[in-house]
Amino acid sequence: MITTYGVTKSYGAKVALDGVNLNVPDGSIYGLAGPNGAGKTTLLGILAGLRDATSGDVAIDAKRTEIGVLSDTPQFDKWLTGHEVVDLALRLAEPDADSIRVEEVLRQTGLGEAAHRRVGGYSRGMLQRLGIAATLVARPRLLLLDEPASALDPQGRREVLDLISRLRGSATILFSSHILADVQEVCDAVGILAGGHLLFQGPIADLLVGSAVPRYSIRLRGTITPAITSLRKEPWVTQVSEYDGEILVEVRTIEEAETHLVPALARANVSVISIKPEEVSLERAFLELTR
Amino acid sequence: MNLWRLELLRIVRTRRWLALLSVYVVFGLLGPVTAKYLPEILKAAGGNASGVTITFPDPVPADGFVQYVSNAVQVGTIVAVVVAAGALAFDAIPEMGVFLRTRVASLWQILVPRLVVSFVAAALAFVLGTATTWYETWALLGPVATDRALVGTALGVLFLALVVALVAAVAQWMRGVLPTVMTSLVILVVFPIVGVIPALGAWMPSRLGSALADVVQNGVPGDAWKPSVVAIAAIGGLIWFAGRGAARREA
Repeated sequence: MITTYGVTKSYGAKVALDGVNLNVPDGSIYGLAGPNGAGKTTLLGILAGLRDATSGDVAIDAKRTEIGVLSDTPQFDKWLTGHEVVDLALRLAEPDADSIRVEEVLRQTGLGEAAHRRVGGYSRGMLQRLGIAATLVARPRLLLLDEPASALDPQGRREVLDLISRLRGSATILFSSHILADVQEVCDAVGILAGGHLLFQGPIADLLVGSAVPRYSIRLRGTITPAITSLRKEPWVTQVSEYDGEILVEVRTIEEAETHLVPALARANVSVISIKPEEVSLERAFLELTR
Repeated sequence: MNLWRLELLRIVRTRRWLALLSVYVVFGLLGPVTAKYLPEILKAAGGNASGVTITFPDPVPADGFVQYVSNAVQVGTIVAVVVAAGALAFDAIPEMGVFLRTRVASLWQILVPRLVVSFVAAALAFVLGTATTWYETWALLGPVATDRALVGTALGVLFLALVVALVAAVAQWMRGVLPTVMTSLVILVVFPIVGVIPALGAWMPSRLGSALADVVQNGVPGDAWKPSVVAIAAIGGLIWFAGRGAARREA
C-alpha cells in the first residue's frame, strides 16, 4: 500500500529522516514506533502530502480522497458542533452521503451524547475521539494516524485500540506511537524509527526473536556480589548487571539457563528470593535495538 | 455541511457580521448628523471658550458622505482585514489546516468560499452603511445625485475586494492571523504614501477607498478608470498569488 524509496528530509543541517525505505503491506496494521523526535510525524506528513521530502520517492496505492489523516492533537473551529465537524469530513469525501453514517461513527467513538455540543467545550480526549471519528467517517482505504491514543485516558485508549483492531481487513492503517505496548497489541508489522533512521521493519515476532536476548532477573537476600562474580564465570552467561537491587543475567539460550542457573546460584551459596525469566517485550527489543 | 456553509457559520456564530455591520452603519448614521450639526456639536463641546469664533459654511449634501467616508473607511477597512484574516489564515492552527488540506482535491475548494464570503460580508456592510448615509443625508441635508452615489459605492466595493484579495495573498504566506493583519495593514498604509509620487498617484488603487466621497462631491473624475484597472489587475494577481501560497508545502 505504501512504499518509500530512500526518503530523506532535512531542515538545514538537521536531518530529520535519513534514507527511509518504508514498506506498508496492503491490509496491514503497521506501527511506526520511536521516541519523541525520531521523525515519525515528519514521515507521516510526507505520506499525507503535507510536506515535501528533500529527496527520495513515495508510492501510495490509494487516491487522495481514500486516505484519512489524523494529526496528533486534532483541533477544530470551536463554534462548530462535533456532528458538524464529522458531517463536514464526510461531505468533503462524499457530498451525497447519508448523515446516518455521521451518527454511527460518533456513537462508535463515544461522542454520541456530545454530538450536538460545540467543540469549544470538548476536553482534549474528546477532541482526539472527534478527530478519529472525522478520519473514519468516509471509510478511507488508508489511515495515517499520528499518536491516535496519546491524549486519552486508559479507558479511552483501550477503546481506540479496539477500534483500530476492528478495522483490520477493511483498511490499511499506519499509526505512529511512542507507546510500544499499543504497537505490540494491535499491529501486524512494526517499523522502528530513531534519529531519522528506520532501524527495523517487519513482523513484530521477527523483531522479538531477532533482537531480544533471553534474560532473567534474580532477587537475593543479603549481598549480591558473590553471585555476580560467580555467574560471570559461567560460559552460557553473556552478560551480568545489577539493576535496582536485582541481578539481570543475559544468557545464550533459555535451555542452558533452565539447566544451569539454579545450580550456579547454589554453588555461589546465596539465599534466593526469586528467579524470574524476563518476558521478551517490544519495549526491550526496542531498547536493545536503539542503544 | 460544506465549505460554503462553514464560512457562513463562521461569520454568523463568531458575530463577525455584527462587527462589520456596526462599524459601517454607525458611521453611516453619524456622518450626516455630524455634517449637519458640526457647529452645534463644537459649541456644546466648549469650542467657543477661548473667545475665538469659528464660522462654518452651510453644510451641503456631499458633506454627509465626506464625514461617512472619513470615519468609516479607516475603521471599516481595519475590521474587514481582521475578519478576512480570521477566515483566510486557515493554517494559523496547523492541525485545523491539516484537517482541511488532507480532505480536498484542490486548495481552491478551501480558498474560494473564504474569499467570497469575507468579501460579500464586508461589501454588504459597506453598502448598508452607504445606504444609511444616503437616506440620512437626504433627510437632513438634501438629495445627492443618484449616479454619483452608485458609482462611488461601486468603487468602494472594488476597494474592499482588493483588501480581501490582499489579505488572502498575505495569509497564505504568513500563515498566522496577527502577522496577516499587521502585514496587510502596513501594505495598505504604504499605498497612499507611494501615491504621493505624481506619476503614480492617479493609478494607485488606494484612491478607491475614499472615492465615494470624491465622486459624490465632485462628480466622476475622467481618470477614475486608472485606479479601477489597477485594482482589478491586482485582485487577479493577488488571488493567483494566494493560490500559489496555499499550494506551497513545507520545503
